[in-house]
Amino acid sequence: MKSLPEITDKVKKNLIWKSVFRRDYRNTVRDRAQAVFGNVFLHLHPVQVRESAVKLRFTWGMGGITLLAFIILVITGVVLMFYYHPSIDQAYTDIKDLEFQVPFGVILRNLHRWGAHFMVIVVMIHMFRVFMTGSYKAPRQFNWGVGVILLVLTFLLSFTGYLTPWDQLGFWAITVGTNMGAATPLLGYQGPFSEYLHITPYNDVRFALLGGAQVGGNALLRSYIWHCVAIPLVATILMMVHFWRVRKDGGISKPQK
Amino acid sequence: MANENKNSSSLRLYIFVFFSVVLLALSVWIVWDDEFGLRPWKKFQTEYKTLKHDKLEKDYRRAVVEFERSGGHRKLAELESKLDRAEGVFKSKENQEKYAKLNNQMEAAHEALTKSQKELRDLRGQFLEIEYYYTKTQKPDYKAKMDVLQRSIDTVALRVAAQQKAEDTIKGSLSALTSVTVGIRSEIAKMKNGLEEKKDKITSSDKVPVEIKQIHIADVDKADRCQSCHIGIDGKSQISGKQPFTRHPASFIYLDHHDPAKFGCTFCHRGQGRATTTAEKAHGNVKHWDEPMLQGDMTQTSCLNCHGDIKGLRGAEKIIKSTELIKKYGCYSCHKIPGYETVGDVGPVLTQVGTKVNYSWAISWLMDPKKYFSTARMPKFYFTQDQAESIADYLFSMSGTTRHDVDNTKSKPDAKLIEQGKALWAQSRCNLCHITGGRGGNNVKVYAPDLSKVGSKVNKEWMFKWIKDPNVYFPGTKMPRFRFTDEEINGLVAYITTEYQDEEAEYKYVQPVEIKAASIAKGKDLIQKYGCYGCHKLQGMEDMVQVAPSLRKQGVSFLRNNEMREKIGMELSSIGSKPVDMLDFGKLKSSIPNDRLSYIKQKLRDPRGYRLGLRMPNFRLAESEINELAAVLYGFTDSSVPTRFLVPSRQELDRMAGVPSYKFTGDFAKVIADVKCTNCHAIRGIGADYAPDISYAGSKLQEGWIRNFLANPDMIRPLLQQMPKFGLTSGKPQAKVTMPRFNLGKQKVEDTNKTDVDVVINFFQQELLSSDIPKEIPKINTIGLPEQIAKGKQLYDLKGCRACHQIGTDGGALGPNLTNVGNRLTQGFIFKHLENARKFKADIVEPNYGFTEPERIYLTNYLMTLKLNAK
Repeated sequence: MKSLPEITDKVKKNLIWKSVFRRDYRNTVRDRAQAVFGNVFLHLHPVQVRESAVKLRFTWGMGGITLLAFIILVITGVVLMFYYHPSIDQAYTDIKDLEFQVPFGVILRNLHRWGAHFMVIVVMIHMFRVFMTGSYKAPRQFNWGVGVILLVLTFLLSFTGYLTPWDQLGFWAITVGTNMGAATPLLGYQGPFSEYLHITPYNDVRFALLGGAQVGGNALLRSYIWHCVAIPLVATILMMVHFWRVRKDGGISKPQK
Repeated sequence: MANENKNSSSLRLYIFVFFSVVLLALSVWIVWDDEFGLRPWKKFQTEYKTLKHDKLEKDYRRAVVEFERSGGHRKLAELESKLDRAEGVFKSKENQEKYAKLNNQMEAAHEALTKSQKELRDLRGQFLEIEYYYTKTQKPDYKAKMDVLQRSIDTVALRVAAQQKAEDTIKGSLSALTSVTVGIRSEIAKMKNGLEEKKDKITSSDKVPVEIKQIHIADVDKADRCQSCHIGIDGKSQISGKQPFTRHPASFIYLDHHDPAKFGCTFCHRGQGRATTTAEKAHGNVKHWDEPMLQGDMTQTSCLNCHGDIKGLRGAEKIIKSTELIKKYGCYSCHKIPGYETVGDVGPVLTQVGTKVNYSWAISWLMDPKKYFSTARMPKFYFTQDQAESIADYLFSMSGTTRHDVDNTKSKPDAKLIEQGKALWAQSRCNLCHITGGRGGNNVKVYAPDLSKVGSKVNKEWMFKWIKDPNVYFPGTKMPRFRFTDEEINGLVAYITTEYQDEEAEYKYVQPVEIKAASIAKGKDLIQKYGCYGCHKLQGMEDMVQVAPSLRKQGVSFLRNNEMREKIGMELSSIGSKPVDMLDFGKLKSSIPNDRLSYIKQKLRDPRGYRLGLRMPNFRLAESEINELAAVLYGFTDSSVPTRFLVPSRQELDRMAGVPSYKFTGDFAKVIADVKCTNCHAIRGIGADYAPDISYAGSKLQEGWIRNFLANPDMIRPLLQQMPKFGLTSGKPQAKVTMPRFNLGKQKVEDTNKTDVDVVINFFQQELLSSDIPKEIPKINTIGLPEQIAKGKQLYDLKGCRACHQIGTDGGALGPNLTNVGNRLTQGFIFKHLENARKFKADIVEPNYGFTEPERIYLTNYLMTLKLNAK
């Protein structure tokens, strides 16, 4: 019978362990800092934060909660993709199957749906807070700009996700939404000045959004790909920039004395 | 400061603990809910298994008791001792040696056979190869080789056959040796098997896993999970009468013809087949699910999804009856309904109506048809007095007459004439179709008008012309031409106009007044707006079909047939699957349930109730009719039924095959256009089911009898009484009826020399024949005819035919009377009818006795001797 230290020794003193964990961890300031510097996820996290900056009543924690919601949505979204076909014959029945048959399908889908609504609300409150505390002012102008783009991306994620269940609600929401696109100046066939660019229903911005002149199988596929691949990718990159700039612009804004 | 810090950190701990507990509880709940809460069918399946186990166990115990009571154990013991003895014999040294020897021989023989067979196969392969080269090159060497090979194949084939025979012989002697023991063993097994099987059933039913049961129909991606709860729906026997465990009602009709594994449930029952969490969701009784489950008789509406022709379809009785209402009220006149494109106008022609009816009557009728007769089919359009006058003005002016009434009571005809008319009325069976004083009208499907008050409605001159030849006034009417003499018609008119007067008529007879042009124009507008020409043929509007609302604004009022897009009403071909969102509940949005069926019913109840400006008239249907009609409309869907489910109607099949549908031709067509045989009889799929189908009357009936019958139906008809209905099937029992006398034989058919009777007889003999019915029956030469007849009579008595059939005064009245059958039916028909009565009439009650051919010949010969007044 080996003692615990002996076993620990055996586990730690081999090539596999060493290749994963480069050195032993001792609870010193140096090691704590090393742990942060050497970790890709914690890298974004500041080593030190001012106490006043984490006061809940100032920041409301909305940025962090938005990130949490985004992470939940990514995880549930990826699992949902296992049960979903973006085709008009199967999309709706896949949702029904999630509701009735897939193990934990109900909680999975509801987490994703409610999480999406939650994220949209939280992201708006976040923006409201940033505006009211004047945190968009120098030197944070650039990050405000990035934030505005992220807000639009959040809305687009919500909008494209709306069509995926292929129900009446989503169908008509996308019909209305893309018809608004048809009224875009110059680029929409119903918009002003579009005739100068020879814009028709078959080459305007609405056509590009739907992959056709009306909401159909192509529109579903397009919104699926925007929703699951393209927009999350861009959003993730911009979020990285967003967080990075929070660090670089002097950390989370704090109340003025 | 430190104290405060400590306080706030312990508060944080409490909050953390609180939320941890909540999160844990939530996680436990999520898992529990996913396993049990959302899967209630698990409980049902477990319960069903218990019930089934109990039932099977009971069956098993009963079988065991039965086995013991019948001395099964004793018999088994006897058999076993018998087996011991037999085995003792078999195991004797002599037998064993023989057995071993035979086995060796068998082995050797089999080996030799296998070898020869292989050789044969090889040779045949070689032959095929050479043959291939030969056909390719045509070289004689190959031909020679082929001949050699063919010879060896022949020899080897002979050898194989001989060896096969040898092996069979050895096999035979082997089995002779073991047959005794094998026989006893199988007997023992048979005795035990019954019990074993029952026991196995219990274990195998216990082993059935609790799981989701799903029928997936791949091509429409339909997944019906109904059987997860309705686990016993297609069971062989009823396990429990409790829901959801019951068997499908009348499954011998529905499930036997629609295998649940292929059809699923929701094609017929609708509902939400994928849902399994609650009964409400599964049955589709939830918001935003447009297809609630159909239950009971309402389900029959789904027959219309696939069956092109539901006439006579078993299990669809309710919907067949309901479908008749579409014809009765002529929904197709204003609405496009597939399958009704060629059905004629539901209302009478109005081209000359001014010469027919009284002006005052027309006003009263237009304002409220039910006031004249409660059975009136014409709906109420809610016309005001002014509007009704305008419409009547238009109609009368088109007939070239003025506003006028004729009072038929002014001149009283003499009583003798009336008496003659009355006799003719009875003799001609007018009441068969027409109702008077609440009586008659048995042949409901012709929808003949009620004549109780006709004396106050139409004028005498018109009535005379009408009875003389209805086709002149109304081409295509269902009223037959009776071939009366002018004198007879005068009598009839006198009788009808005096007997059937409207006692309660409120209107006064108006004096002729000139009609104003403005009123005519207004009447025309109203007729256009409400589409009267949908049901009636109107002068100047003969080929008008619709009023297109969008085009009217631009001043185009009418479209001709070739421009037709749609009818005045909404197309109904897919009303039964129209999304509920697209139904306009208007004012009643909050006062009636917002589902499709409620919408349809309310529309039928009060067609103009949803909003202002609706034009559909009110048919004032009874609530039962509303339910029936709604059931039919609910079945008009555009749901995607796989084509392999479709059962096209006969007409569609004919059209697909390029076969023209049956049409009457030649002189008979002229007679039938006059006498309207198909009002009551069906001939080759055309006509009604009121009287017997006469499609094969030429093969079935003897010429003399037909001639006699047509001349005087009253004389012979009572012999063929209607079968009592016993209330077993739906529908009113038909009263004892006889065919009207059409006075055939008095006149010659147009453009020919033949009398109409000859034409009819000729048609029967030439056309209405069945290749299944022989002219002559087979003869038996070994026995003399009188002897055969005696044998037939013996059979007649032996099989108890008299229980249903009557000869003279002897026998029952369930089947047709046979007193005169020898004059009526052909021998071929009787012969074939005895073989399989259902072949000619599917719902016949006569049992199939399984007579042999000689027996049928005897019976036929006997029956042919039954003649009432053999001349």
